[in-house]
Amino acid sequence: MSDQEFEPKILGFFCNWCTYAGADLAGVSRLQYPSNIRVIRVMCSGTVSPHHVLKAFQKGADGVLIGGCHIGDCHYLRGNYMTIKRVRFLQDLLKFTGFEPGRLHLEWISAAEGPKFAQTVRDFTEKIRKMGPARLKSARAA
Amino acid sequence: MDKLRAKVRTLLSEGQVAGYLGYLIKDSHPLPHLFTPENLEEVDQAVVAPDNARYPLDKLLIPLAERYPEAAFAIQVRGCDERGLNELYKWGQLDPEKVVPVGVACTQEQADYCECPGPWASVVDYGEKCQPVAKSLRVEQVATLAEEDAFQEWLGAFKRCIKCYGCRDVCPMCFCKDCSLEHEDLMSTGQLPPDSIFQLVRAIHMAGRCIDCGLCEETCPAGIPLRVLYKKANALVKDLFDYETGSPTAGPSPWKMLGEEATLETKPM
Repeated sequence: MSDQEFEPKILGFFCNWCTYAGADLAGVSRLQYPSNIRVIRVMCSGTVSPHHVLKAFQKGADGVLIGGCHIGDCHYLRGNYMTIKRVRFLQDLLKFTGFEPGRLHLEWISAAEGPKFAQTVRDFTEKIRKMGPARLKSARAA
Repeated sequence: MDKLRAKVRTLLSEGQVAGYLGYLIKDSHPLPHLFTPENLEEVDQAVVAPDNARYPLDKLLIPLAERYPEAAFAIQVRGCDERGLNELYKWGQLDPEKVVPVGVACTQEQADYCECPGPWASVVDYGEKCQPVAKSLRVEQVATLAEEDAFQEWLGAFKRCIKCYGCRDVCPMCFCKDCSLEHEDLMSTGQLPPDSIFQLVRAIHMAGRCIDCGLCEETCPAGIPLRVLYKKANALVKDLFDYETGSPTAGPSPWKMLGEEATLETKPM
C-alpha cells in the first residue's frame, strides 16, 4: 500500500459528559473532520483500561484517541486523574518497547469545545497519516 | 543457620506462630516446607535455599492465611520476598499482624545476578548484607536502542511465547481470581504466538507491583527477558508517581487511589 492510499484507522474513546458532547457540538455546528475515527462512548475516560488501548492496537488500530473532561470538570469528580496516570504510564511503556507511543493521545475536550474537538481529530488523523500504518500491524502481516 | 533455626524454634515452641514457611532439603533438593510445632525436630533440617533454588513462598502463604485466618505464620524472606509481603499487605491479601518475617540476606553473587537494589530483608537472620545494585544495566541497554530496533527486539522475544502462563503462575504478586490474560474478549485464544500485547498487558499489571524476584524470567521456557520489562515498568512508576514498589513507607499504590490532585499533564500531540 502506498502512502497516498493509506487511510488510518483511528479509535476514539470519548467520555459521555464532555468529549462526546463536544463531538455532538462539532456535529451540530457542521464542523468538518475526517471520518477515519471510530468512536466508542464511555461513561468516563477513567474507565478506559490500558487493556482496551492495547487491544485496539492488536486489532489493527493505527491510532487511539482518548477524550475526557478537563481536570476539575470530571462528572465523577476525579475519574480523569486515573486517565492521565494510565495514559502517561502506557505512553512511556510503549516508548520503551518501541510500540510507537505517538499513536496514543489524550486530550481534554469539554462539551463546549466543538471546534477544539474537530481540530484535535483533524490534527491527530494527519499525524497518524504521516506516521503510516502501525508497526505492529506491519509486523503481523509480514 | 543456627541463628535462623533458633529463631524459628522459639517462634514455634512459644506458640507465636502456627507454622514457619521455609525450606527443607528433601532427597537432596531444597523444597518449600511448612514447619509446625508438632514436628519441631524438623527445624534442625531447616535451610536457606541456595541462591538458584527459589520458590514463591509469599504465594504459598496466601492460601495458608486464607485457610487459617486466625493463625500467624513465620516465613523466610529475602529482600524481594519482603517487598512482596509489603505489597500483599497493601492489596489486602495478607495481614501484617499475622506474618512474622525470618529474614535472609542474599549473597553478592545473587544480588549482582538480579541487579537487586535491596538484597536483604529488614531483619537479617541469615547471611551478611552485601552491596546493592542501584542501576539495572539490562534496562539501560534496551533504553539506548532506537525505537524501531527496540520494537524488533521485543517483538522477537514476544513471538517466542508459548503462552504457558508460567510467568503468571509463579508470580507471588499475581493473586487475582480472574485473570485478564485469560479473558477472551481482551486476549485472543487458540493461537500461537499469542497476541503481541500479551506481555505488555502483564507488564501493566506488574507496574507498581512487581517486587523483582525474577522468578518469571527463570520460569519462562522461551527465555523472554520479562524482568527487564517489569524493572522498567517499576522505574516508570517511580518516575511518574514517585512510588517505590514494595517499600513499607511508600503509601498506597498509585493505581489504588485517584489522589488529591492531578500532578501529570497530557503530552502534546
